[in-house]
Amino acid sequence: MSTQQSSGRLTAVRSGVQRFGGFLASMVMPNIGAFIAWGIITALFIPDGWLPNEYLGQLVDPMIKFLLPLLIAYTGGTLVYEQRGGVVGAAATMGVIVSADIPMFLGAMAMGPLAAYLMKQFDRLVQPRIKAGFEMLVNNFSAGILAALLAILGAYVIGPVVRTIADALGAGVQFLIDMSLLPLVSIIVEPAKVLFLNNAINHGVFTPLGSARALAEGSAIEFLIEANPGPGLGILLACMLFGPKVSRATAPGAIVIHLFGGIHEIYFPYILAQPKLILAVIGGGMSGVATFMVMDAGLVSAASPGSIIALMAVTPPGGHLGVLAGVVAATIVSFVLASLLLGFGRSERKAAKEEKAKQAAAENQETTA
Amino acid sequence: MSSIQGSDIKKVVVACDAGMGSSVLLTSQLKKTLSPHGVTVEHSAVDRIPDTADVVLCQAGLVARAKTRVPDTVVVGFQMFLGDPAFARLEQAIRNGETLAD
Repeated sequence: MSTQQSSGRLTAVRSGVQRFGGFLASMVMPNIGAFIAWGIITALFIPDGWLPNEYLGQLVDPMIKFLLPLLIAYTGGTLVYEQRGGVVGAAATMGVIVSADIPMFLGAMAMGPLAAYLMKQFDRLVQPRIKAGFEMLVNNFSAGILAALLAILGAYVIGPVVRTIADALGAGVQFLIDMSLLPLVSIIVEPAKVLFLNNAINHGVFTPLGSARALAEGSAIEFLIEANPGPGLGILLACMLFGPKVSRATAPGAIVIHLFGGIHEIYFPYILAQPKLILAVIGGGMSGVATFMVMDAGLVSAASPGSIIALMAVTPPGGHLGVLAGVVAATIVSFVLASLLLGFGRSERKAAKEEKAKQAAAENQETTA
Repeated sequence: MSSIQGSDIKKVVVACDAGMGSSVLLTSQLKKTLSPHGVTVEHSAVDRIPDTADVVLCQAGLVARAKTRVPDTVVVGFQMFLGDPAFARLEQAIRNGETLAD
């Protein structure tokens, strides 16, 4: 009874975390196209890009400081209160944007939905009481006044608070990099991915953190931590060679979808079916991050989906070797560990042999009879 | 527990976390097997499953979230994205008009 209760609570906690993370991710993911556009423009036109161009390089700063946070805020607002929420959320977010010189993704992720939520509550209270004929006037001005107030509040209060939080998180990552401890992040990231928190982690955490570094330093290792297809690829390769019969059949197709299509979800069930394999992805993830760190690898913008093609496309000039090295290292380590954990297919072979022996025995019996 | 007659299934919604990745992959696969039976297949984020869904398909790890979103709809959980028996079960229920329950 009590175990049942606690497992029920665990499920509730898990789906709660999933839902919150999913909400963060769903503000970012519909806008990935704009992130990629920014990534392409940055990789091409900044002074040490492929085709340095001062005029077109002017696109880089406004896109990451204004366009991308506003899109996130608009999307977040829309999720809460449709287009009206989106409009108020985007306008209100301008306050947090001007309050800092870093890209205000976290601020946008907080302000967009908050403004939309307040608008929704206001409308619920006020709309039923509006005199006929005054709806448009009241609706337009209530949205405008609320957005203006929230923008001012954002500039003075919420912006600095979010900035402090973002700085602290960024400093935390920097500390881990300085102390060479960043690979430890994989101990959390890889198991969380398999519990379907992959989007939440990559787009809820690493995309906002990495964007600040990418603007300052040209590329960011944060974008590689979750998006590295190596650990999953190692698992799928091991399952293809040494896994249970069912996974041996499906793994080759899964490899193509995972590595090139970038849909990492496809390898999660192989781990959920054999939880010990989690050790292999953690090991693979850690080796990948360590290699990225040693090779000083990073991406210009978020790679989504986590396909090798997407990774290569947002790698800055001269960085491809480092990124590939990390992916390969993660694949090899994860593959070797997973193969060990699967006993190189020994138990599978044993099962097959027993089956054969049983069949042979049955046939023997028939012939003697 | 919810159940539905296979012949009443007109719209299957495949849900995943973001509604952009694995659910789209499965939607294009299921369309091939289900559209001959006059069933539409759509994809969606698990927290925004449309109320018009007759059956929801999602990975076992997301079933709890799908159920909170649409408590009265049949939610079929699957383990593997490729070759899971749940897909065959769904198709069989639709083809033969059998009862499908979660």
